[in-house]
Amino acid sequence: MKIGHLRKRGLGGILPATLMSPRTTDEELAKRMIDQDKTSSQKNSELNIVPDNALVNGVILEIRNLGKIYRNAGHELTVLHSVNMDVHAGESCAIIGPSGSGKTTLLGLCAGLDQPSQGHVKLAGEELGLLSEDQRAALRNRLVGFVFQNFQLIPTLTALENVLVPLELRGQNGEEEKAEALLAQVGLKDRLDHYPTQLSGGEQQRVALARAFIHRPALLFADEPTGNLDNATSEPIVEMLFRLNKEAGTALVLVTHDPALAAKADRVISMRAGRIVSEENHARS
Amino acid sequence: MPAPNSQNYNPPPTKLLKALSHPWVWRMAWRDGRSERKRLSVFALAIVSGVAALTAIHCVKVSVEAAVDVQAKALLGADLQISSREAYETADTEFISSKAESLSREVAFSSMLFFPEADAAKLVQVRGVDGKFPFYGDIETKPSAAWQLIQQQRGVVLEASLMDQFGLKIGDTVKLGELNLTILGVVTKPAPRSSRFSGIAPEIYLNLNELEATGLLGTSSLSFHTLYLKNNNAEQIKELRTTYASKGWRFETPEDRRDSLGKTLDVFQQFLGIIAMVALILGAIGVASAIQTHLNRRISSIAILRCLGCPGQTAYAVYLVQSLALGVLGALSGGMLGILLHVSLLHIFKDQLPITIEASPQWLTAFTTTAIGFAVCTAFTFLPLSRISSISPGRALNNFTAQGFKQQGRSLLAVGSFLFIMLLILAWFNIPDPKRAAGMVVGLAIVLACLGGTARLLIFLARRLTRRSWPYLLRQGLSNLHRPQNQTHLFLFSLGLGAFLLLFILLAKNAALERITLSDMKDSPNIYLVDVQAGQLEGVTTLVKKLDLPVLERAPIVTMRIKSIKGVAVRELQEKGKVPRWILQREFRSSYRDNLSNTETVVAGEWSTNYDKMLTTVPVSLEVDMAKDLGVILGDELEIDIQGVLIQAKIASLRKVDWSRFNLNFFMLFPSDVLKDAPGFHIVTTRIPEGSSSGQLQRELVKQFPNVSAIDLTLILETVNSILQKVSLVIQFVVGFTLASGLAILAGTLLNGRDQRLRESALLRTLGASTRQIQSILVVEYAALGFFSGLTGVLLALTAYIPLSIWVFESSAWPGVFLPLLVIAATTLLSVLAGLVLSRGVCRHSPLEVINSA
Repeated sequence: MKIGHLRKRGLGGILPATLMSPRTTDEELAKRMIDQDKTSSQKNSELNIVPDNALVNGVILEIRNLGKIYRNAGHELTVLHSVNMDVHAGESCAIIGPSGSGKTTLLGLCAGLDQPSQGHVKLAGEELGLLSEDQRAALRNRLVGFVFQNFQLIPTLTALENVLVPLELRGQNGEEEKAEALLAQVGLKDRLDHYPTQLSGGEQQRVALARAFIHRPALLFADEPTGNLDNATSEPIVEMLFRLNKEAGTALVLVTHDPALAAKADRVISMRAGRIVSEENHARS
Repeated sequence: MPAPNSQNYNPPPTKLLKALSHPWVWRMAWRDGRSERKRLSVFALAIVSGVAALTAIHCVKVSVEAAVDVQAKALLGADLQISSREAYETADTEFISSKAESLSREVAFSSMLFFPEADAAKLVQVRGVDGKFPFYGDIETKPSAAWQLIQQQRGVVLEASLMDQFGLKIGDTVKLGELNLTILGVVTKPAPRSSRFSGIAPEIYLNLNELEATGLLGTSSLSFHTLYLKNNNAEQIKELRTTYASKGWRFETPEDRRDSLGKTLDVFQQFLGIIAMVALILGAIGVASAIQTHLNRRISSIAILRCLGCPGQTAYAVYLVQSLALGVLGALSGGMLGILLHVSLLHIFKDQLPITIEASPQWLTAFTTTAIGFAVCTAFTFLPLSRISSISPGRALNNFTAQGFKQQGRSLLAVGSFLFIMLLILAWFNIPDPKRAAGMVVGLAIVLACLGGTARLLIFLARRLTRRSWPYLLRQGLSNLHRPQNQTHLFLFSLGLGAFLLLFILLAKNAALERITLSDMKDSPNIYLVDVQAGQLEGVTTLVKKLDLPVLERAPIVTMRIKSIKGVAVRELQEKGKVPRWILQREFRSSYRDNLSNTETVVAGEWSTNYDKMLTTVPVSLEVDMAKDLGVILGDELEIDIQGVLIQAKIASLRKVDWSRFNLNFFMLFPSDVLKDAPGFHIVTTRIPEGSSSGQLQRELVKQFPNVSAIDLTLILETVNSILQKVSLVIQFVVGFTLASGLAILAGTLLNGRDQRLRESALLRTLGASTRQIQSILVVEYAALGFFSGLTGVLLALTAYIPLSIWVFESSAWPGVFLPLLVIAATTLLSVLAGLVLSRGVCRHSPLEVINSA
């Protein structure tokens, strides 16, 4: 059902779920990406649709026995203990827990922003541990969107330029209209040339949302997206996040310590002291 | 998304070199640098002065060398110049003449010239010339035919300075010895100079054949006999050198003159070049610091880009492009300024140079120095840039403890090695000798390491020694020295290096000038009366006393040469290079007396006038350093030629002589009865009181004893002093470039710190601090930075100066407290003022405005 849903809505190309040989070279990875694009564009209309064989049982993110230990000046700090988790395509998943429970660390490892001390992460079938830093970056550019607590816009770029960065990084130029349309969608039609310092917190987060969705990612990671916003400003952001998740079919992994926000997700995973302590399923058909 | 073969599908490459040519990288570099352009440009100015100085110095050298190459013959005036202290024998002159297309002769000596109308006299350099000299180049006179006139009629051509000093005009009469001469013209561009004494006394020119009539020939001890040959045949010139090698004559070709001038230029250019190099390196450090600060602000942006999929080397390329742009801006600006300086300097000093130099830009040299400046600047920026690869994309997440912005050991080693090689290339470009170039780089590295070490020590002390009991304002100011992103290192480098250079140059200049300053002691002479013949000694002495002047010393002088040392001929020793050439070819002026003077002490052997007159060897007392240079000890024997008569002398004692005193001191002293019958002359010394003129003495002397020359030491030292002052001015001008680099870094550093100051001040004011309190905190911080920068620079300067003063200037190692204290006070004051000026707006911003914008 998930796959059909994706087919209907259209999505950016997703890699086949076939296992890759260890130490994939950049050239091999790029070729597979290009081949997949060719196959998709031949089969589908103007928006690429995920091929049927792209996912294994519809799992876009697979985590097995994931652990992380930080070693510093003779001290060892275990932040994650053997975490296992799957996220399905199009699903929204909230990770909740108190400060220091390992939520952000888990998020970072899922996105390939750091290397685990044990276990593995597979993103759309690609095992991140077998990829180089640049390969993980390329994968993120293709598959992942980010929304951060402190917005993390590039301060020297305008709102429009910030939104365009993911596309520019994959060599797509001339997409200003698309970016403008997205910014209009989030209510910032008149703020295209404004720098982050000229925008309020809520406005910055909306720019970040637009940037996260411009390239139609398969998976969106949101780290405390409303942590720096008041209730009134948070509501539209949250509404946009989940609407885009439903409409674009982008899987959403949301880290928060706000139970009310977590309750909006299909699934809520509770963490404490680096472990998953409970899981609740709120999936709505 | 578009198919991969569509036209606008061109992702940035993952490899650095390819990424550098990708449009996105340049676009991103431009966009990212938008808000920092002004700040970064200030740092780019830091290398402008260094590149400008290096360009100007090297371009001037190339221009001068090019002119010298073309005009080498004009520098000498002939193809070969042969100089001797004695007259040539007729047979030799005829033989030499047969080897020349044309021959000119010159006899030059110093003598007193009397100006009857002014009733005054002055020491001049007389040059009696015949033939068509100069064969190359021109002597310019007014009227233009005056030089030819002196070959046709009795008369003299004078330098313009003499005309001006004594109010003379063409047609007036002057008296040289017994001869009255009409002034036929004024020299506006002089003939090539052969004598070392020329340049100190003004020159007069007359026909060689007139010298006999002056009655001065043969009476002057400071005379030179020169033959000028026009002959393009190098083989014949070589033959003449070989034929007369044993005569002790000096042979000089235009190539020799060019090489000698080139060596002098090289030394001066290398010295100035070192200072320019320091300015450039300091500027490059400033640019690297700017990039470091810039990157510190961009850590988050870089992490975000990597989160969004930007490859590591692509992100590196973005900031490398910015660094290259800074380097290009600074280097090009410096190169253009250097060209302007080069052309201006040649234009300003064109009348003071002995050759005509075209003041046109040396584009190739300017391009080379600009390129080197750019390369050095870029090499330094690799240090902060190499840290980009360690920025983890995880930094984009809050509280994510991924590896931070740390230097990787291997990359630091690689960058450090590359930097060292670039510095070696820079040093070698300036100093062709690889060992000296390497030594210079190591020396500079030591200075920079000392400054960096002092910065770390200061940070450590500020952190550890601050006490809670101290006043808050003092504690807060000192805490700014060690807080994250402090400016301590940059301050130490910029101000400390500037203080070191400035003080060192000033101390060295003062020590050099002190060497030529006359002492105030009553028995120190300032007038030397030379060429006093034996029969004139009493008359001259009486004359001096009649003018109420003291007769301080009278000494007989006998000229002699060393023929062999310990039985080995001088020529053989010269070929083996065992003894300095100048000693072996020198004509010594030695004396004889029965007692020591108060400027000398016997350090070995025995000073005695009693010796066995039956022996064939006579005792001689040598000056101790002279003995060291000759490689002789007590008891060794020298064969000495005293105007054709050979004597054997045994070293009976060694003396230490105080050369700083201007009394009559001699390398060789004999007992009086050894040389009392030898031909020679006498010197009488006296002292003119300060403020008085030697004019009356000179007037009376020239009337009664026209062959006696009065050398006024005060005038000579004033001339030397003024030359040294000019040289010192040039050096200080170049040092100014280093200071300019330092000031640019200082300005940039303060600009960088301004934002932080704004936030701190806003917070403090929110908490209740007054403007005076905030400024006090700033004063404490900048005063500490300036003081320690000055102190470190001063200590480094003293460490470099003390060995120089002991071994080179042989003067007191302690330079006094005034200059060092002045430099420390100046750097402290400069630091405080600069800090207050640049922070002047800090207290004027509304706290709310600042906190909201944070």
